[in-house]
Amino acid sequence: MTSGPLHNSYFRDLLITNQNTDGGWGYHPASASSIEATAWALTSLISSRREPPPPDVCARAGDWLLLAQCADGSWPAFPGHPQGCWATSIVARALYLQGGAQKAVESGLHWLINAWPAEGNFWWRLRQSIFPSRVALQDSSLRGWNWTPGTASWVEPTAHALIFLRSLPAPMLSRQAAKRRELAERMLFDRMCPGGGWNSGNPLIYGVAGVPRIGPTAWALMALRDFSERAEVQMSVQWLEGAYGEIHGAASLALANLSLAAYGRPVPPLAPALGEMYSHNRFFANALTIAWAVLALNEEMSGVAPTAEEAATR
Amino acid sequence: MSYAQPSLMPSFTRPESRVAIVRSAGYDRDLAALLFDALREFDLPVTGKKVLLKPNFVEPDPEGIINTHPAVVAAVREAFLRRGAASVRVAEGPGHERDTESIVETIRLREYLGPLQDLFVDLNLDEVHAVDLRTRASRLKRLYFPRTVLEADYIVSLPKLKTHHWAGVTLSLKNMFGIVPGCCYGWPKNVLHWAGIAGSILDINSTVRPDFAIVDGIIGMEGNGPIQGTPKASGVLILGNDAVAVDATCARVMGLAPERIDYLAKAGVLLGHIKPEKIRQLGESIASVITPFAVLPAFQKLIAADGR
Repeated sequence: MTSGPLHNSYFRDLLITNQNTDGGWGYHPASASSIEATAWALTSLISSRREPPPPDVCARAGDWLLLAQCADGSWPAFPGHPQGCWATSIVARALYLQGGAQKAVESGLHWLINAWPAEGNFWWRLRQSIFPSRVALQDSSLRGWNWTPGTASWVEPTAHALIFLRSLPAPMLSRQAAKRRELAERMLFDRMCPGGGWNSGNPLIYGVAGVPRIGPTAWALMALRDFSERAEVQMSVQWLEGAYGEIHGAASLALANLSLAAYGRPVPPLAPALGEMYSHNRFFANALTIAWAVLALNEEMSGVAPTAEEAATR
Repeated sequence: MSYAQPSLMPSFTRPESRVAIVRSAGYDRDLAALLFDALREFDLPVTGKKVLLKPNFVEPDPEGIINTHPAVVAAVREAFLRRGAASVRVAEGPGHERDTESIVETIRLREYLGPLQDLFVDLNLDEVHAVDLRTRASRLKRLYFPRTVLEADYIVSLPKLKTHHWAGVTLSLKNMFGIVPGCCYGWPKNVLHWAGIAGSILDINSTVRPDFAIVDGIIGMEGNGPIQGTPKASGVLILGNDAVAVDATCARVMGLAPERIDYLAKAGVLLGHIKPEKIRQLGESIASVITPFAVLPAFQKLIAADGR
């Protein structure tokens, strides 16, 4: 195919075409349905308000996600996997935005609020007090969320959880949820790289400043939209703007656009750049990249984290 | 399948390993010809086989310091195709960066290999199968592995010659962390750290053992590797039919004692050879190419006793 802009609904149509017969999406066409890929596909399609997908597309996706929920309220990476994981935040938010699955969303929220990362356990803290880490100096009392149970907090799963919590109306959030949200926001600020921006979660290694990355920075900024006046956030937005010209991946480009647009910063037209990248490698047929491209291309979506008021009106 | 081969053998029953050291002053040389000749020394059972190359792609680094250089990846691919492989694909699951496309485009892999969409597999997003681990060196009992890896006939680990701030060195055994799928374990694959890095390296390699290893030491990394270290030109490619022996040789080239590197010493018991008398050295001698790598203070104990 030739390079250049694609028509506005190209990626939306591609996403719809790639839906599996079970209602889910794999990370690639015709691969086994993945919880995360399906949640992002659903989120992006329900954001296509100007050109909504056929109703059964989202309905089947929602049904598939509901069937995949674990008994404890979480969602695993793939159906049948034994443990819930970071995908819980993304699925619960997708179902909340879709509407009609209040009980599933609430049980997902309950699991999330009670899912603590492993650095909070007694033995870990005891060990740290005796043998403090000389490698990564960060405040481990500030805890967010982990990728998988039994591991530590990291930037991206923490940001996904905060974006989900931020999308909920205040009455749905318990006092404990509010506490966890506040703790996780402080954790993100603690994990910011010294010059602004975020990497996966190590701002300093042996005293050397970590290099920020586009994806984690974009997610963290979207999670911290309520703190747009803080110097750390301003510095990170500036870092993202400065790094924008060096982006070579469509997923990073889409996320950077979403994040900068959420802060009201001007961004170059996305469609031509995505078209150019797509002509090189077809995004490796990555469903997440396509879903994030759809999200970023949707004029209606100025950010992936609507305010409580916005969410309540949906 | 590579993961189905009998990989656990006591060292004394294991045949001698073969490791070759080949000099190359830069990435602009005819690396494919160099490697094709070097591979002649090995009786490679790759004719008609599906070969999978597992490079070390970590971050979008345009300087070519952090990641296996694309010129080496392309040269290895060509050499294996010329040796009769039916197909040679490239697969990686970066540990920190979710946007794998940004890495392969930044390092210009497409310019070296041609169109990538049917040639490159993002192991972080592949279909997965649960596999019981063959050893219990870590707390892990089973892991999900990508289908592409499990279905390959022949796996080649293709790392960069680097120091590592947690493991001491990262070579062909540590490089296999990249086959653990992010879609199940996240970015980073923190479950491996919590289970114990050294033990996880052993458990992964005992279960999905690379059949061959080729280390890009033309320009490596010393100091605070594997990301924030300093470029170190060693001007060598180190290859062999035993990843443990290859890594032990790499360590010696770096001026380090392999028996002092925790996971490598343990790998020498059941997975391969680290003793010099069990490694048949081909090509250049270690002494002729030794290039001492600076290490962080925590790893000074790894420096070989002769001080080189």
